[in-house]
Amino acid sequence: MAYLVDARGKPCPTPVIMAKKAMAEGHETFTVLVDNPTAVENLKRLADNQGFTVSVREDGGTFALDFAKGEGCAACEEAVNSPLPAAGGDWAVFVGRDIIGDGDRELGTNLMRMFFYTLAQGEDKPGAVLFMNAGVKLPTLDEQVADHLKALSDAGTEILVCGTCLNFYGIADQLKVGTVSNMYDIVTRMQKAGKVISL
Amino acid sequence: MDYGVITFTSTYGAIYAQKVLKGVAPVQVMPVLREISLGCGIAVRFNPEDLEGVKAALAASTLKEGEYAFYAITGSGKDLTAQPL
Repeated sequence: MAYLVDARGKPCPTPVIMAKKAMAEGHETFTVLVDNPTAVENLKRLADNQGFTVSVREDGGTFALDFAKGEGCAACEEAVNSPLPAAGGDWAVFVGRDIIGDGDRELGTNLMRMFFYTLAQGEDKPGAVLFMNAGVKLPTLDEQVADHLKALSDAGTEILVCGTCLNFYGIADQLKVGTVSNMYDIVTRMQKAGKVISL
Repeated sequence: MDYGVITFTSTYGAIYAQKVLKGVAPVQVMPVLREISLGCGIAVRFNPEDLEGVKAALAASTLKEGEYAFYAITGSGKDLTAQPL
């Protein structure tokens, strides 16, 4: 029987940590049990990044993810480890708040919208835009910013949105653009980017 | 014209105009184009078909003539032209 990792009831990012541990211990096939869709998405991305294939079974609110080590090939490894999609530049934008700067909220909201307008119109687009804390209100509640993010996404920019933060603010179901993500993926994008601009 | 732009002499005007235009026409906030020298840094962009509605709404607001200006924008990049309306 395959190795079993029971991560039901564990908060983010514990299921990912448990699955990583199973990989580190050398298990080439194993099953992870979780009980929420966010954990499923995070684990799928972990599998992609680590060269595993994964299939998901759902049974009454429990998700069973079967991990299997993929056929190793140099090209796949390279693709998996390549820093950022070629379409976007070798830089990332980190957005930790929903306005630009300190001071008046209304002005800060306008500045943020103009920032993304300019970013979406320009030639030099970032490889990734990373949203955390109140920043997650932009791809959910701000229609103008969400429009610009869609344009960036279509042009190859990755939009990663902190799932913990979406849940904290109770707006996970309102995400208009981007991928629900976690600290691991966001930190990895920062580490691999040539520069990170923080707002 | 590909789209219309309103510039303002004050940031307050730009922020106020967004409130006036809410429900009148879909608008976006954008930085004032380099091709337009006049105005504060914040401009409001609207779709060509909404020109008359937007003009009427601003005329009926507390904004005074001379506190804002309309431009028709055509093209993009080096070929961009901004025509005062």
